[in-house]
Amino acid sequence: MSETTPTNKPQWAMVIDLDRCTGCEACVVACNVENNVATVGAEEAAKGRTINWIRIERYFEGEYPDVRVKFRPVMCQHCEEAPCEPVCPVYATYHTDEGLNAQVYNRCVGTRYCANNCPYTVRSFNFFDHVWDAPLQKAWNPEVSVRSRGVMEKCTFCVQRIKAGEAKAKDENRDVKDGDVTPACVQTCPTKAMYFGNIADPTSEVAKLSKSSRATKLLEDLGTKPKVIYLNEGE
Amino acid sequence: MKRGLKIFLLVGVAILIAVWLAWRAASQPVAPDQPIAYNHWQHISKPDGPQLDCDFCHEYADKSAHATIPNITTCMGCHEAVKTDSPEVQKLAAYAQRQEQPKWVRVYFFDPEADVFFSHKPHVKANIACTDCHGNVPQLQKMRREVKHTMGWCIECHRQRKVSIDCYVCHR
Repeated sequence: MSETTPTNKPQWAMVIDLDRCTGCEACVVACNVENNVATVGAEEAAKGRTINWIRIERYFEGEYPDVRVKFRPVMCQHCEEAPCEPVCPVYATYHTDEGLNAQVYNRCVGTRYCANNCPYTVRSFNFFDHVWDAPLQKAWNPEVSVRSRGVMEKCTFCVQRIKAGEAKAKDENRDVKDGDVTPACVQTCPTKAMYFGNIADPTSEVAKLSKSSRATKLLEDLGTKPKVIYLNEGE
Repeated sequence: MKRGLKIFLLVGVAILIAVWLAWRAASQPVAPDQPIAYNHWQHISKPDGPQLDCDFCHEYADKSAHATIPNITTCMGCHEAVKTDSPEVQKLAAYAQRQEQPKWVRVYFFDPEADVFFSHKPHVKANIACTDCHGNVPQLQKMRREVKHTMGWCIECHRQRKVSIDCYVCHR
């Protein structure tokens, strides 16, 4: 897995405040539009072939009429010790020096080992070539590839926006700062439950929030070291 | 038996010729016919020509992902008055009259399946000469693809110049 080498590159991370999440799924819609994520239709969805880069998990607590619902948006956790990476026979998934878990579609041969090894089940496989009914293909994001049949895909933390933000910072001859990079889900969240930034920069908002006493990570005991930090609900 | 050998030889020679023709066609530089026979040499290198720089026409090469081809109003800026007797310039004037842009045929591009997201801007900013990637266009009478943009070719330059060769730099 990753040998942690000291780097001055930004380390991208996300913080999600569960107290603010209302489960509206606006982030899911934004993600689908931004990243050309295909919808498969009811029949294929019933076979478990949906493609989701982000999903909202629902948890119900208590008995009717005293029921409380909790929501949790789950996307690729960009683990520092990602279980998906060492099982790929063709190095199609690997860790970048910016702390991203990358998926290279050109390399992927579709063994699906990575999805089997992902404890968060956030990887989706393209079981067939998707059809966008005209004129929907005109809404494709030109900055993102349209994945073909037989490759695995998952959340990239909107790498196209990361690259654009880094290019902008380079133009202005400075380091990236908060606000340079905003993934589609973070941008669209109506309750501002999501934060994104460079966790290696101690002044960034995600670095500060990650030190909160409410901060937890999903399935932390697996030792995957996720880069998505959840702020638990307060009582 | 002898006849069988003859047919075998004939078919063999035919296949060889076909392979040779295909190989020759594949190794020819790509040089599609354009709606107007634009001549790079005449505009850039010709001693008594206008001696334009690349970015006179491809003005967004240092500002955006795409180098861009100019609107024909840029062409007409000069050709309203210059060389109006040339049949190609008359074609251009006809386009301008109809307020229509010529459908230029792309010479350098990546296959969509390659999932390559190339940007001119960082390359121009790093002082890579246009001719490094596009061949000696200033001397070309007819634009053609002289340099093959394979991934190995990109990586080699990135390695030499100690630029990141992370997959996400180009593929996403």
